[in-house]
Amino acid sequence: MNGVVTGGWNFVVAAYSVTGLVLLIYGVTIITRLRDEISRAAKER
Amino acid sequence: MKRNLFWLAIALLAAAVYFGLLVTIGDQYLHADLSLGLPVVARTLVAFLGGLAAVVILLIADDFSNLSRPKALGIAGVVFLLIGSYFGLFVAPPEQFMGETQRIMYVHVPTAWFALVAMTLAFAAAVVFLFGGNHEWDARLEASIEVGVVLAFLLCCQGAIWAKPTWGVWWDWDPRLTTTAVLLFAFLGILALRKFVDDPHRRAMWSAVATIIAYVDVPIVYFSVKWWNSLHQQQSSPNTVSKPFWIPLRANAFGILLLMMAFIMLRSRITALRLKHELAPPPALDEAELGEAV
Amino acid sequence: MLIAALRKELLLQWRSRAQFMAVFVFGAAALLLFSFAVGPVAEMLRQFSAGFLWLGLLLSSTLTLAESFHAEMENRALEGLLLLPANPRALYYGKAIANWLQLILLGIALVPVMVILYDAGTTRVGSLIIVIALGTAGLSAPGTLYAAMTAQVRSKQTLLPLLLFPLIVPALLASVKATSLIILGDPMNQSSAWIILLVAFDAIYWSLCGLLFGRVVEE
Repeated sequence: MNGVVTGGWNFVVAAYSVTGLVLLIYGVTIITRLRDEISRAAKER
Repeated sequence: MKRNLFWLAIALLAAAVYFGLLVTIGDQYLHADLSLGLPVVARTLVAFLGGLAAVVILLIADDFSNLSRPKALGIAGVVFLLIGSYFGLFVAPPEQFMGETQRIMYVHVPTAWFALVAMTLAFAAAVVFLFGGNHEWDARLEASIEVGVVLAFLLCCQGAIWAKPTWGVWWDWDPRLTTTAVLLFAFLGILALRKFVDDPHRRAMWSAVATIIAYVDVPIVYFSVKWWNSLHQQQSSPNTVSKPFWIPLRANAFGILLLMMAFIMLRSRITALRLKHELAPPPALDEAELGEAV
Repeated sequence: MLIAALRKELLLQWRSRAQFMAVFVFGAAALLLFSFAVGPVAEMLRQFSAGFLWLGLLLSSTLTLAESFHAEMENRALEGLLLLPANPRALYYGKAIANWLQLILLGIALVPVMVILYDAGTTRVGSLIIVIALGTAGLSAPGTLYAAMTAQVRSKQTLLPLLLFPLIVPALLASVKATSLIILGDPMNQSSAWIILLVAFDAIYWSLCGLLFGRVVEE
């Protein structure tokens, strides 16, 4: 392909947003599951 | 012992950040030579090896007891990602042929590196478990696989978003991305396997075996897809990053490294807690188990 | 010990040859469905015939592989076998070879179906059989290992393909390519590269899975 790729900003924003969202959501699920697991372990004792 | 190892890892990371990132920032923006006499190649090597060594040591040294350490790593990771993304979006100039879409590389390339690192950590954990039988390594295995799956999924999304404006299609069968997709399915399968096996010893053993088998396949899949594709397309790889673009790339790389480690460490704690519960039989069940075996 | 294990497996398979017929019909039906999916365009069907053959073979293999541990699971005979002073490795290779032979037969049986449905004939029968043998070897080695695992869990029908399919991508690619070159012609002599890939894949997985099988069936 020769020539400059134009109109890329939308895709750049999409890529960064997807990255941020996926990492954020995954982080939240980890913290939530960890909290559940800790409270379950505490209840057992 | 473990506490000292943690700080050793931090020291290695600091050295990696210094030689890998700060020297380049000093060079480009402060016009100051912070390199302490080390040539470029050596600096890159220190950054690379120091970062990897720090990752390995953090994994080994983690005894699942502390929550504030992984959280601190996570916050540091987010900070690096914000800095890297700022540089990548607003400071770095657009590239000659790729235009603005070059900026996607500043998140895509680090994600690629650490998806592979996470899978490699999973492989290492599987091997260590097979030799030692220590269930701590099973916890680390499950965590690394899950984090690796998330990063691989993210990689495929980023790859598609990059491919559309560049090649006009959402998927262009690039060997690296296609291998990642295959890897994604392979490791998702292993996570599914874990859900269906109730006995913790068996679950650990089988996941370790499956992980080793899947990981050994990665280079084979890569080469076969490369040959399969080479007959049809001759494209440039979406990868080459030249010097003025190092800062956002490396800042994001450190960001993802720290975030990945934070995720793996926190996720292993979840599995470790579950295993503690599963491996310690409640007294009331013992008789029933004996009856079963006879 | 390996010969004894192999003889036992082949005997079991001979006894359940009705099952083989059923799997063959399944494979042939799959090949038929592929043509409906693509449409009655003779040239296109011929282009993709190798792909259809191997996909049909792959889908059928999940049935064969899952079935291979059925006898053990029925009578909890798996544990019984391991109590004998027999090597788990002999057990593995016996089963893997028996599965391999069955898959070769299945592949050869499906070739006429492919020839008729897709007008995909070839005179290079010897090469075709070699490719079928190498490709099915690639399916059998990891497939037998995963069949041993999944036979012992719930949801076994979903787990076996889920685990196996991503893994055998290189074998699938190479087999389809090599077969396609045999059917459509190979002017630049590319098939040797794919054959080498298949041989390498088979060598790696026949050794690796044999090594690891003990861990899969130990208690």
